[in-house]
Amino acid sequence: MTGASSLATAERVARIPARPRTWPRTLGVVGVLAVLTALTATPALGGVEIDLGAIAKNWTNGADRIAQMLTPDLSVLPRTWQPLLETLQMAVVGAAISAALAIPLSMWAARPTNPRTPTRMAVRFVLNMIRAVPDLVYATILVAMVGVGALPGVITLVLFDVGIVVKLVSEAIDSADSAYMEAGRAAGGTQTQINRLTALPQTWPAYVSQVLYSLELNVRISAILGLVGAGGIGRLIDEMRGFYRYDALSTIVLEILIVVVFIELASNILRKRLR
Amino acid sequence: MSETITGSEAGGVAPPASGPWPIELDDVTVRYPNGVVALKNVSLSIAAGEMVAVVGLSGSGKSTMIRTVNGLVQPTGGRVTVGPHAVSELRGRALREARGDIGMIFQAFNLADRASVFHNALVGRFAHMPTWRTMLGLASAEDRDMVMRSLDSVGMLEKVWHRAGALSGGQKQRVAIARALSQEPAVMLADEPVASLDPPTAHAVMADLEDINASRGLTVLVNLHLMDLARQYTTRMIGLRAGEVVFDGPAATATDADFEAIYGRPVQARDRLGE
Repeated sequence: MTGASSLATAERVARIPARPRTWPRTLGVVGVLAVLTALTATPALGGVEIDLGAIAKNWTNGADRIAQMLTPDLSVLPRTWQPLLETLQMAVVGAAISAALAIPLSMWAARPTNPRTPTRMAVRFVLNMIRAVPDLVYATILVAMVGVGALPGVITLVLFDVGIVVKLVSEAIDSADSAYMEAGRAAGGTQTQINRLTALPQTWPAYVSQVLYSLELNVRISAILGLVGAGGIGRLIDEMRGFYRYDALSTIVLEILIVVVFIELASNILRKRLR
Repeated sequence: MSETITGSEAGGVAPPASGPWPIELDDVTVRYPNGVVALKNVSLSIAAGEMVAVVGLSGSGKSTMIRTVNGLVQPTGGRVTVGPHAVSELRGRALREARGDIGMIFQAFNLADRASVFHNALVGRFAHMPTWRTMLGLASAEDRDMVMRSLDSVGMLEKVWHRAGALSGGQKQRVAIARALSQEPAVMLADEPVASLDPPTAHAVMADLEDINASRGLTVLVNLHLMDLARQYTTRMIGLRAGEVVFDGPAATATDADFEAIYGRPVQARDRLGE
């Protein structure tokens, strides 16, 4: 018996296919990455100049700034309330407007809710373009177009939010089970009717979750939009930086940190309750 | 049909279908884009008010056949007629109007789980409802009344404001039947309506279909793969095998040999549901 079973084992061992060799490919990928890194860090070959010596040379300067930042000047706080409120208003208004725009756009960008390929592709293309432009570039151009203030900031946030909310919600629609659509079609419904009465409630949790997420991002982004003149607390950050008031700057940074953490906590609680 | 619009609302309001309708399939072939021929030259004539079972194994083409009746699948050859509608020649609005007169229920129920029972049943009013009413979520008194009556007739009225996803399998299928009845259809299609249900619930749903046929006089076409359900609840049986009709006769007297010819193999215990 043992003889027969060990014979069977030997026969099976002979039938195991050779394990594919993957190390040459791994070595190749690692090698290419190493060469690319070396090239981009070598100024003589057109790479960026990374002077690690600058850290040592400017160390006393840096230590001075850090020392200043470690002693926040709280006397600046009263001046921050109004711009901070403006930042929060921009974040909320931007999220609300983009939320309204995102409902139809998400439906048009997803296959189950828009089976017509040309219009779906057109919507997706435009949204890819909108997402490709960095938010500070929008803000800079819009400040030049509509002037300094909260308006260019709000428009920037709307463009940014629509880009991400529509992408994430339409992907959620694409990957969700949509058997209920067949029932709507069988009953003689138009795609618009089916989307409104059944796809909308099915998509609601994903949608609300992404809108809350965009609100979180807005608070962070709108804090720096003021650097290019688009309103909010960024304007104050720019001013304090100009006067080398790093003690006041750290107060503002701490303030933003507290607000961001608070909004994230609130939106996390809301999102958990949705599920 | 379209010239007889008499509804009090403007646009897209079709009158209820009048009386049961016959179903005609004339030399129908369905070849899918991937080359699979699901139906081969099927010709059938189902009289108004008949209760017919279509029996076959999965892959026999019965799902495809039932979907040609309401145009969810358009035949690549031949003609499908339901009452006054030449379904296989209709597109767009005319096809939606025809579908509005043909109710359908599905194996997986195809409900929007996050929407209420009411809104799922309201899907059945799509063809009778102008799009603006659907968009605003304003069902007319007539639509509400029809939905409530349909839910009452399947014993689901007390669950009207429950979420569809919170119901049991049998309750979901009854809501799906109410959705189809809300259409005020002349024909009822059922694609494996009890395959996801336990035996007692399966018998209850089959009894509901039997009652729809007997008391409302609707033409009922139901796909089944279990022989005892076909024998017990239907009057006529059509056997499909590899896309072709291999049996057409009274269901009650169909012998085990007849089923063996349809299945293409000996009858097994799993071909019966039992009590």
